[in-house]
Amino acid sequence: MSGSSEPRNPGEERDPILEADAASHSQNRPKLTLRDWAREKLAWLGRLTRRQIRFFLIMLGASWGVIFESFRAHSWRRTVRFEFASTMRSVIGGGLIATLFAGTLTGVAAVSQTIYWLGLAGMAKMTGTILIDVVIREIAPILVGILLLGRNGMLSVTELGLLTTGGEIRSMQAQGLDPFLLLVMPRTLAFTVGGFTLGILFSFAALVTGYVISRISGVVTNPVWTFLYDVITAMSRADYLVIPLKFVTVGFVVGLGGCLTGLTATNEDNLRTLLPRGFSRGMLIVMAVSVLFSLDL
Amino acid sequence: MDTRIAGPLLELNKAVPSFEESGLPPVPFSMKLMPGDCMVVEARSTSRATMFADLCCGLVPLDDGAVRFMGLDWADLHDRELNALRGRIGRMTRRASWPEFLNTHLAITLQQLHHTSRPLDDIVAEAARLGELFGLPGLPVLRPSMLSDVDLLRAGCVRAFLGRPRLLLLEDPLEGSPVDLQNPFLSAITDARDRGAGVIWLVRNNAIWQGYRQGITSIWRLADDGLVEIRTA
Repeated sequence: MSGSSEPRNPGEERDPILEADAASHSQNRPKLTLRDWAREKLAWLGRLTRRQIRFFLIMLGASWGVIFESFRAHSWRRTVRFEFASTMRSVIGGGLIATLFAGTLTGVAAVSQTIYWLGLAGMAKMTGTILIDVVIREIAPILVGILLLGRNGMLSVTELGLLTTGGEIRSMQAQGLDPFLLLVMPRTLAFTVGGFTLGILFSFAALVTGYVISRISGVVTNPVWTFLYDVITAMSRADYLVIPLKFVTVGFVVGLGGCLTGLTATNEDNLRTLLPRGFSRGMLIVMAVSVLFSLDL
Repeated sequence: MDTRIAGPLLELNKAVPSFEESGLPPVPFSMKLMPGDCMVVEARSTSRATMFADLCCGLVPLDDGAVRFMGLDWADLHDRELNALRGRIGRMTRRASWPEFLNTHLAITLQQLHHTSRPLDDIVAEAARLGELFGLPGLPVLRPSMLSDVDLLRAGCVRAFLGRPRLLLLEDPLEGSPVDLQNPFLSAITDARDRGAGVIWLVRNNAIWQGYRQGITSIWRLADDGLVEIRTA
């Protein structure tokens, strides 16, 4: 090793000045007690946990916020009502054809097949129960949720994400326009109403199409009213609560998730990061709701 | 929420803005703006001027000191009160402020529609009158992206002066604007001041406000060492 007065060779690994500095620092460093070590580890664990479940916690808080604010008359100013009405027009009006078409396809692919095979197996009496349990309670909320997510949820993600990263949201705050009150609450509630409406229309379209196909192919000979009566009588009391609740909840979480994904965008985000995040979160949310309602009900 | 009528309209009392949140120098900012005052603040950086306007609106967290508007400390207010108070501020900003999901006429009137219960016809009539004053043929109903920069500037003037705001934070609308905008703009400032509004006019170029030299009550400079007073009328 060269002395301190000699120039250090380039590329030499050991630097005497840095070594001396590091040695003095290590001598001066206070000893880490067990308590400090435990606190550091706990803080790390807390940071990790918070980061991983941050969005879930934001969703929980915002869900409560939307429900709480929606019951306050003062929240429903004319700008909020306008946003609610225009989002509902977009969700229901814009998604109506797609939902009816998806319902029709489900009727052809699932309902008519179910009727046919149950009839063939001599289990025609179970048709109503199977259709309610499979098509209306399981398939319909998921498909309606995906349609809502694709048509309007992703639009909210993009729109609010670009407003957030572009600075328009900050400009709105400067005018005293709370984005939660003006955008998140009305849009989430519009999605909620839209989820219920489209879910019912989807179910109706699927059942009627399934009946028509079965009638044309001669599998069923009953009139449509008898078929619908069989389906309705197959519903339990819990179904009358769970099915609408599932549609409502799917709409609520898709709307809220889309808005929050957009509003929590940072300056590093762009469409390439926002859209996949919004879609994967939306799909997870829809599936989670579906599974949650199927657990013990 | 009881606002103060007498006394300073806006008061920065040794307010130290958070550097991490704003990029403003973390030094004490002190100044008072009385009703009817017009204060020019020279700021070379547009982003710093925007942040200073944010500071006046209570959007920038403080490390120390206080910012009071109409006698109320922004830090003491809850969300609803904050928003209601910000509804009394007319602002022109260099930051993007035209959401694309609203047509321009709605974006112009949004603040009034949200914060007041004035009849829609009244708001529209006032906006149309201001639109004509600032050189628009009426109230623009197209999407903001369909409007030219000059028309958006005029629409921004309409939005800022709509609804008789108590405080006007104007980020240099005259820079690069057509000549015909200058007189209506200065006239609108004078009218607002006559009604008791305070005006903070943020400029980059000294030449911009020379036409209104007699009306300026104080001139300040926003630099690395904070807010420095250059001249008081």
